[in-house]
Amino acid sequence: MDVRRTDGVIAWALMAPALVVLGVFGIFPIFYAFFVSLHRWRIKKADFLGFNHYLRALGNPYDLLGLLIGLGLVWIGTRWFSRRSRLRIASGSVVFLGGAWLALHCLLAMADGGDGRLFNAFKVTLFYSLGTIPLEVVGSLLLATLLFKIATARSFFRVLFFLPYITPMIATAVVFRTIFSPNPSSLANRFWALVGSEPQRWLYDSRSIVALALQGIGVDAYPDWVNTLFPSLSLVCVLLYNIWVYIGYDTVILLAGLSAIPRHYFEAAAIDGANTWQSFRHVTLPLISPTLFFISLVAVIGTFKAFNHIYILRTAGAQDTVDVVSILIFDQIYQFHNAGYASALALILFVTILVLTVLQNRLLGRRVFYGD
Amino acid sequence: MATPRARTVRRGLTYAALSVAGMAACIPFVWMVFSSFMTRGETLRRVFLPADLQWSNYSSAWSEEDFGLYFENSLIIAGLTVAGTLLFSLTAAYPLARMRFLGRETLFVLILATLMVPETVTMVPNFLTVSWLHRVMPVAWINNWPALTIPFMTNAFSIFLLRQFMRGIPNELWDSARIDGAGHVRFLFQIVLPLCRAPLMTVGMFTFIGSWNALGWPLLVTNTPAWRPIAVGLQKFVTEAGPEVHLQMAGAMIATVPVLALYGLVQKEFTEGISMSGMKG
Repeated sequence: MDVRRTDGVIAWALMAPALVVLGVFGIFPIFYAFFVSLHRWRIKKADFLGFNHYLRALGNPYDLLGLLIGLGLVWIGTRWFSRRSRLRIASGSVVFLGGAWLALHCLLAMADGGDGRLFNAFKVTLFYSLGTIPLEVVGSLLLATLLFKIATARSFFRVLFFLPYITPMIATAVVFRTIFSPNPSSLANRFWALVGSEPQRWLYDSRSIVALALQGIGVDAYPDWVNTLFPSLSLVCVLLYNIWVYIGYDTVILLAGLSAIPRHYFEAAAIDGANTWQSFRHVTLPLISPTLFFISLVAVIGTFKAFNHIYILRTAGAQDTVDVVSILIFDQIYQFHNAGYASALALILFVTILVLTVLQNRLLGRRVFYGD
Repeated sequence: MATPRARTVRRGLTYAALSVAGMAACIPFVWMVFSSFMTRGETLRRVFLPADLQWSNYSSAWSEEDFGLYFENSLIIAGLTVAGTLLFSLTAAYPLARMRFLGRETLFVLILATLMVPETVTMVPNFLTVSWLHRVMPVAWINNWPALTIPFMTNAFSIFLLRQFMRGIPNELWDSARIDGAGHVRFLFQIVLPLCRAPLMTVGMFTFIGSWNALGWPLLVTNTPAWRPIAVGLQKFVTEAGPEVHLQMAGAMIATVPVLALYGLVQKEFTEGISMSGMKG
């Protein structure tokens, strides 16, 4: 028993420095941020405001309640839905659709009554994740499978693909800022000229890519939603940058996952007469699924944390079309010195990340095959 | 079974696809290197290669707006942060991996949970904490190295990676160390530390990159050039200066070199280490 007790003392003593750093600068701030968010807080603490910052950000609380109920109905609908009985198909669909309608309706009402910039930022963040994660996952899986097949120059290609990830993002973002500049001599415009098109404004363009395509074919009168429902050209440039950076990292991780699959599985599949696709679909994919899950989880959290490169890539011309939530929050802190409101926004972001992580774990986590 | 010829064609296609992807990965670098050696006129005309290498771009970028000072600041900040992170994460990971004490699993989950907290949540409270420390501590925090390094001197990912690795160290080593009269602390520093070469290099590299890239926090806690890092310098360079692409690219090159040099040193261990991070353990 005595040995055990001194062991405990040694353990805590060894961990103490790290725990102090993590506790003071990693965990305590969550509670402190909540405290700050309840006050008007410019440079110093001022009046107690209660939940006013949250109301200002999210709008009418009943709409929030409606959104949650709607999402709950969607969940119930999917659980209740079953192909086995017609009744359950019908009622499940009705509950699902009703819930989806209610959620959407309340979300729009919230965007109307709350802080429009916050909902815009969430929209941009959604574009950001939808525009990067699927392409990164599919692209890196493709690259990793190709790399896995070749024997010579594998490590050469691996280092090559890894370069964009390892190079400081502050430097490569500056490079992309010049590549996607509106200057006719920028790399993007030179490439565009090769295809035979007019120079574009790239990172400086707040119009959506669909609006630009419509203008390209001569349609100048388009409704407003063409600009609001699609990502802007500047955001697409940021997405390209993001994909360029992370695809190599994902490839390296997936390659390691592929290398860990015992060779005899492939041999067995080949003996059973599986072709390349079948052996990929039924051997590689299930065995690589934990790694795929890991990189998509990292990518989702990364989307919400993305800051440095967007801060460098944003331009006045892009207006607010590239401002993800973390950029919006930083502006509130650094530009407007509004610490109280910024903390409320940050906590809303935090809760969103928590909910999404749990959802991703429940929805995708079940499909992951961890072997026996 | 595929004929030899079909196999050759397939192999050719594989290499072709990989080469295209490799080129896409490289083009921005080529653009950066070439543009950094051009004259201003060349960057505006549609030339691809500089006629003469303008080495002077580098000295101009270096002396432009304290860029050289920012570079040194970043080296010191990153060096201190890496040293602190290596030491603190090593000592924190060991008990979590190899010692028994009450609340170990809960503590580990709590540490991992900090991974999900976005920096924007901690930014305001940490600024207030650091301002308070600035007032009460004998050393200044704001506009000085403590605010830029100490809050980052460990992180959940580093502890996680080292713990996963340490769990794989065979128990026989510990048994024989104990027979020789060594306690946990000696075992950690004499046996475990040398074995953790690869994960430590990975952690060091990640921490270096993270510190080198940091932009938001340094903007908040520095308002004079004295301790500003290179990220702030570059950001001001591109948003405030005119369209001086050649100087911006030279600046980006200067910011890139230390990280790539470090990567060259730890390349093998780093790839091993990040591959491990994707595995369930």
